[in-house]
This record gives sequence, C-alpha cells and structure tokens, in this order.
Amino acid sequence: MAQVEPSIEIGLIAPKRGVRIGRIRIPGWLAVLVRNPKSRAGLLIVGFMVVIALIAPLISVAHPNDFSLLDARQAPSWHHLFGTTDQGSDIFSQVVLGARRSLFLGALAGGIATVVAAVLGITAAYMGGIADEVINLLTNVFLTIPPIPLLVVISAYLKARGLVTMAIVIAAVLWAFEARILRGQALSLKSRDFVLSAKTAGESTWRIVFGELMPNMISRIAAAFVLVFYISLLVDAGLEFLGLGDMSATSWGVTVYWAQVNSTVLQGEWWPFVFPSLALAITVLGLVLVLTGIDEMSNPRLRTERTRGRLTALVFGRAVD
Amino acid sequence: MSAVATKTLIEVQGLQVEYGRVRAVDGVDLTIDTGEILGLAGESGCGKSTVANAVMQILRPPAHIVGGSIRFQGEDLVGKSAEELRKYRWRNVSMVFQSAMNALNPVMRVGDQFVDMMRAHEHISKHHAIVRAGELLDLVGMDKRRVRAYPHELSGGMRQRVIIAMALALNPELVILDEPTTALDVVVQREILQEVEALKRDFGFAVLFITHDLSLLLEFADRIAIMYAGEIVESAPASRLAENALHPYTQGLMRSFPPLTGPRVRLTGIPGAPPELREPPSGCRFHPRCPHCVPEDAALYLRQTTERPRLREIEPGHSVACHLVEA
Amino acid sequence: MSALEVRDLSKNFAVGGALRRSQVHAVDDVSFSLQPGTITALVGESGSGKSTVARLLARLYDPTSGSVLFDGGDVARVRRRKDVLRYRSQVQLIFQDPFGSLNPVKTVRHHIERPLRIHRVVPPAQVEGRVHELLSTVGLVPPEEVAAKYPHELSGGQRQRVSIARALAVEPKVVLADEPTSMLDVSIRIGILNLMLKLKDEHDIAFLYVTHDLASARYIADDILVMYAGQIVERGPVEQVLADPLHPYTRLLLAAVHGERIDERRGSASAAVDPAEGCRFVSRCPLAVPVCSVMTPPLVEARPGQSARCHVTAPAT
Repeated sequence: MAQVEPSIEIGLIAPKRGVRIGRIRIPGWLAVLVRNPKSRAGLLIVGFMVVIALIAPLISVAHPNDFSLLDARQAPSWHHLFGTTDQGSDIFSQVVLGARRSLFLGALAGGIATVVAAVLGITAAYMGGIADEVINLLTNVFLTIPPIPLLVVISAYLKARGLVTMAIVIAAVLWAFEARILRGQALSLKSRDFVLSAKTAGESTWRIVFGELMPNMISRIAAAFVLVFYISLLVDAGLEFLGLGDMSATSWGVTVYWAQVNSTVLQGEWWPFVFPSLALAITVLGLVLVLTGIDEMSNPRLRTERTRGRLTALVFGRAVD
Repeated sequence: MSAVATKTLIEVQGLQVEYGRVRAVDGVDLTIDTGEILGLAGESGCGKSTVANAVMQILRPPAHIVGGSIRFQGEDLVGKSAEELRKYRWRNVSMVFQSAMNALNPVMRVGDQFVDMMRAHEHISKHHAIVRAGELLDLVGMDKRRVRAYPHELSGGMRQRVIIAMALALNPELVILDEPTTALDVVVQREILQEVEALKRDFGFAVLFITHDLSLLLEFADRIAIMYAGEIVESAPASRLAENALHPYTQGLMRSFPPLTGPRVRLTGIPGAPPELREPPSGCRFHPRCPHCVPEDAALYLRQTTERPRLREIEPGHSVACHLVEA
Repeated sequence: MSALEVRDLSKNFAVGGALRRSQVHAVDDVSFSLQPGTITALVGESGSGKSTVARLLARLYDPTSGSVLFDGGDVARVRRRKDVLRYRSQVQLIFQDPFGSLNPVKTVRHHIERPLRIHRVVPPAQVEGRVHELLSTVGLVPPEEVAAKYPHELSGGQRQRVSIARALAVEPKVVLADEPTSMLDVSIRIGILNLMLKLKDEHDIAFLYVTHDLASARYIADDILVMYAGQIVERGPVEQVLADPLHPYTRLLLAAVHGERIDERRGSASAAVDPAEGCRFVSRCPLAVPVCSVMTPPLVEARPGQSARCHVTAPAT
C-alpha cells in the first residue's frame, strides 16, 4: 500500500509461485484454479473426459461402427454398457471414441480462434492508426455475419467435412468476437507505465505485443480459448444433429442424429439419445466451470464496486450490511 | 448517546484489529478530548487508517476487532446494536476520506446527496435539506449554486470541500480526517486546511487528523501520536514533539523532510522499509532500522530484539515506547 | 554544451465532442536546456503540463510544434527506428508509479537485461554481470537474489530503484524523472533522492526532476523551472528563485508550503483550454494591472540568471 492508492490493475495477475508436493511441482496458475471450488470441479470434469478420450481405444469393447443385427436396439447391459443402436453398434464405444473427436476439435478450434483473435486484437490496440482501422474493419465484417446460418451454409456446401475443416470453420466464425474483447483489454493496458517503459527502453512493437501485453492478458486469453472450445462442441454436435456434419465420423452428435432419424425414442429407446447428450452436457459444464473460475480469479473490478457501495451507504447513514 | 459533554470524547484502549490472520493494529491506546486536534502520523501499512475505521465503526470482514475497547463519551462502542451505531456514525462522529470519489455518488447531484444523508438521520423536509446543503457549501467556501452540480463537474479541491461539508452537516463532536488533502495540490491543500481550522473554531468539534505528512501535523495538531507497524511508538503535544522527539523513528521521520530554508544539508532518512505485518520483527518492531540497535551493546540489543517496548510517560503528556528511553 | 535543448515546445490535445473541437494547451512555448552533471527541477501542480513535458522529451508523444535538440539534431519528429533507438539509448524516463512501471510477470533481471540487449551495451556474455553491477549501483543487494524476484515481491522503494537501474543500463546522458518519489513513503524518499545525486555526480548525467514538491526540488536540484497552465513562469538557480521569487505564482507556492496564510482566490494551475491572450495567472494575482489581461507576458531575465513571465516583476524593457 502506498499513501496514494495505486490504480486498480484490471486483469493483471502477479505470477504466483507454484507449490511443491513431494517432487512434483505444480505451476502457479494451476494452483489458483484448483483453489477456486468452481474451477476445481470444472478441471476434474474436463480432466476426466480427457482421460476417457485418451484410453478410449482400450476401453471400447467393440468397434463403434460394427453392426450386428442380432444385437440391435438393446438396452444398456453389462455387455453393452450404454446399449446398442438400431444397427447393433455399441453406444459406449461411440461415446468414448466420440470424446476424442470432440476434445480434439474443441482444442483445435479454440487454438486457432484464440491465436488469431489475440494477435489481431492486441496488435490493433497497440498500433492504433491504420492497422487498427483495417483490423477493426475485418473484425466487424466477421461479426456481422450471422454465425449459425453461415455455418449451416458452409457445411452444406463443403465437400470436405473433416475435423480440421470443421475446426477452421468454427474458428472463422468465433474469432472476431474474441478479438474485440482482447482489443479492449489491450487498449486499457497499452498506456500503463510498464508498457510505456518498455517503449522508452527501445522495445519493438512485436516484442511489446508478445512480451508485455500478452503475458498480462493470459487469463483473458485462456478464457477466450475455453469459450471457443465449448461453443465448438455445441456447434459441432448441433450441425451433426441436423445432418450437416461429417456423418461418417464417430461422434456424439452423429449418434444422436441417427437416433433421431430412426425414431428410437418413439419406441422407448432412450439410450442412444441420453448417453451422448449427457457426455456433451457434462463436458460443456466442466468447461464453463473452468471459465467461471478464470473470470472470478482475474476480476478485481468486483472488489472495487463493493467498496464504493459500502462507503456511499455509510455517508448516508444507512444500515450497512 | 449522552448529552453531557464530558472531557474525554474518545478513549481507545488496547485496540487490536486483524485482517484475516494479519494483525494490523496491535495494542493501541488513544484518547481524544473535546475540541482538540489529535494528529495520527505514520507511513503506509502502519495501521492508522484501520484505527480510524475502528473508531468510526466501519470495519468490515475480513477486518475485525479482536481485542481492546473503543469508548465514546464513556460508552463502549463494541457492544452496540447496528441501529445505535448507525445513529452514532455521522451524528457523533463523521469522516472525511482521502478520495472524495469514494464517498460521492457519481450519478447524483451533490445537493441530493446531502438531502439523502440528512433525511436518513433527521426529520427534515427536502426543501429545508437543500437549503441547509447550500448553507453548508457556503460555509466551506463554495458557491451555493453548486448544490446542483454532479461530482465530476467539480475540481478535486471542490469535491473535497463537499465531503467536508457533508461531514459537518449534522454537527458532530468528532470529525475524522483520513489523509484529506494528500491527493490535492499544495495550494489547494493549504486553503482547505485553513478552512477546516476556521470551521473548528466556529463549531468546536474535535479532529482526528490522519496523515503521513508529519509537517502538517506539527502545524495543525494539538497532540500528535506516531504509529509504526501497528503500534503507537510516541505521543506528545505537537510543540513538544517538534522540540524533543524521543523515539528514533520519529527522529528519522523528522529528518526525512528536506528544509526549504537554511543550509542545504544531506539527509539520511531511514534505511530499510516498514515491515510486513504478516511477520513483524521480534521485540521492538523498529529495531531492524534503528541506528541505536547494534549488537555491540549486548544487553540492550537483547532487549531490543526480544522484548516489545511499552508506551511509558517520560514527561507530562509525552509518552514513548523505546528501550533506549527508560526513565 | 547542453545535453538536451528544448525550444518553443508546445503540445495541444483536442477535447470536446465532435462539434466542439477545443484545444487544451498542455504545454505552451516551453524552452530550456539540460546540462550534463546537473539536476533541473520542473515544478508545478497537477495539470500544469510538467509530466507532459517529460513524456514529450521521452518521445512518447509528438509535439505540436517546437524542437528538441539532441546531439546536434532535432529529434522531435524522427520516425526511423534507427534514429529513435539511438535517442532512446541516450535519454531515459523514470515513471512515478512504482507499482505500475514494472511488468508484473517478468523478473527484475528481465527488466534490466532488455535495454542492455536491445542497445547492445555489452556483449551477451557480459550481460548478467552488468545486471548485477547495476543492481549494486542502485543499492539493491545481494544482486543475484534481487534479480530473480518479481516486482510484487519488492517494496515500493525497491521497485523504484529497479526502474532507475533499468534507466541506467543504457548509460544515458539524460534521465527524465517524472515524480519518482511522490508515491513512496516519506522515509524512503530521501534514499531515492540521494541516489539521484550520487548518479549525477558519478556519471555526469543531466537529470530533469519533475515534481510538485518544492522542498525536494531544493534538496537536489541546481536549477528550477516553475510551470503554470502549460507555461514556464519562472526559472533560475534553485536557491536564488526560492529565496527571492519573482513570479507571484512562485510566491504563492512558497507561501503555501511554508504554511503561511494565503488569500483564497480560486483558480487552477491546469492547462488552459483555447487560452486567450494575456497572463494565465491574472485571476489569482495580487499584482495584476490592466496590461496583464491583454498581453501574454514574455519570459524576461529580470536578474542575472533568473527569468520570470510577469509584466510587473519582470517587465520587458
């Protein structure tokens, strides 16, 4: 504390030293996320799904596309943990292998969108002038395009509907939203003294963008990544449900699509719907919890407003909480 | 509250305040008499604002009082109900904060904030309240018409005057000034302090003046208490402190103000920095920075590093907490 | 031979909405020079323009008009990275806020290494050694330990010393210190001021010490420039100006600091918006005469070495 209040540093987190458990060193940021109960729960859920995805080939008893009319439409049993589809394919295998696809897609889309958003958004904020105008124009163009119709149209017309294509398409739709947010935060950072200091020391623009601004925006960038991650899961599943995805892939959305097409629910067969949807919902929930944890961690603004409210109430002699 | 004006207005004894597990105030004794100006000086982290907040009873979690008592006109505040405290605040004791923007609602006109505040404490019509607000602004040297202004339309100095006016609105017995002019320019600061002095003469309230600027206190205060690392290390009448500061920290502080007149001398200030209150130094908290704490003087050194010095009265009105100064 | 010379420097900022394009004259016609091995104090209240001057000299903004002469050339508007870098290797800025001027996620070592590497002050093999040397010079010992720390692990005074070490890394001729002690505890300030005095003597640096505190200006400065509403209203050797000020504003400042009673004529030291001709202090001035409202007084050397911008106390003959 100094006698004059230092400016509230929105989004700046002093790096916390990691903790050591035995010989394992846990990095600071992870320790913080673990401490927050919401993000701890989220991390556990996401971690669990990652593990499942990793060991999927080992635990899926049958190839997901194996069909055996003998086993068709069977309710969950020890033999088929999640039951079978109308073609006799094992749903458990479809779900655990679908996890691989989803997580990979989410990470890829998240990665592409975040990198593009961060580089463009932060550079635009720091450089200002023409660079800012051009990038803003680009961002605005992408922002005004309605995402769902765009996705539907692209998916409908795209010959290649592979995983990578889907990731790129989703990233293309979502990057602009994040770019605007990151630009906003970078704008508030760029006139901070330590950034000006780097400038007077002679740092080049690139080193300032990557060395001074970005490292102080990690939590916001991480939040952007998680956001795009879970949206892409939902979008991918949604498109597949509509029949616009890669219908030969092993994925949650595809399983549900076939279930719907074959009117299984009408025949009382809930398992092809419920299990993939549950997997999707739980994964998304986990990601959202992690996101909440990141946001709470990096938002001292909440603290300031509470203080102001309290003092104002005091001045007027009203009862304070 | 008692209507009889007793001589001692505020009596703080053995006050201990903790924020979580950090003890920000560790055994503070203070008295403020009716109509006197008590200055509380210290640097960042010494706990002076915490003491003020405790007297004003506005400490909020994680801060809580873990020991000691605070009496207003003889009655202990710690046991009071929320409603009694609500009346106490502002009517008996009011506070002027360092930053007016913390106390003023940015989306309300100044006059309306007065009205709100007055009507929370008294039965008064809106019209009368606005009139009174205008009178108060006039009192602090502002144009009455400014009741219609929004805070952001006023300069820093004017905003500070507004909150001083608000602090005086209900004619309290004690006004706490917590770094009231630190964020202001020196000329504005001088104007405002002159005004506060004049108001005090007219209304007769006592003042608890908290600041890091000891030179202001030497000028304005009747008595001064010096705080360091959560404790009071010295307390004396202002004139006595100026002539004969006994505690090495006080002496160091006095040496930290470069002179504007007289010979240009090299000053030394005080080496080191105020301690982290999470783990204060053992014994005398100032000993790591004290020029008189040397291992060579073994017996004294042992005491300085292991035993906390107690506040002892050395001469009438002048107390020091220091192993060196033993009567 | 001046280290840095400023001539008729002005900086305007546009304010007001889309329709009202007013100009704030943050810095108006400022001229002075900085000599090696001296400290020049630039004194003024908030909004007077003193920080803007420092930032203009640090090339964080471009001036609206005027020139900054360094090493024989006008650097006010240079654009080429090579030229800007050369200037930055000689002129450094220290910021006011010890909490904000260091990157929270980088170590002390990083902060001091970067200028060394950017300007190739020493060969890469010697960088670490030089970092430790610089930390020792500013009193941060043991340097190996301090270098590994992050800013939030240091106190305010220590952070300011890191900023000073960083500024020194390039071996500058000019150091612009923008209120380096105003956010530090009182007992720590003297240490920083003494450090600046030591560096001035040992390295022959020309310091510009921006402050609102007259006492510290007297403590370390050789010359003083007093700013009001964007203009320099008085200048001269510090002892001379403080002992016998010419300009009524300087007198007012001194009176306020000495704790004398001052007459309350409201006014502000802040930069003027679309100022009219005439002295900007006229509304607060006890000596004002009719010409003061009509004609802007020029800076006139009324006594040897001491100039003031006042028709009454420093009339142009």
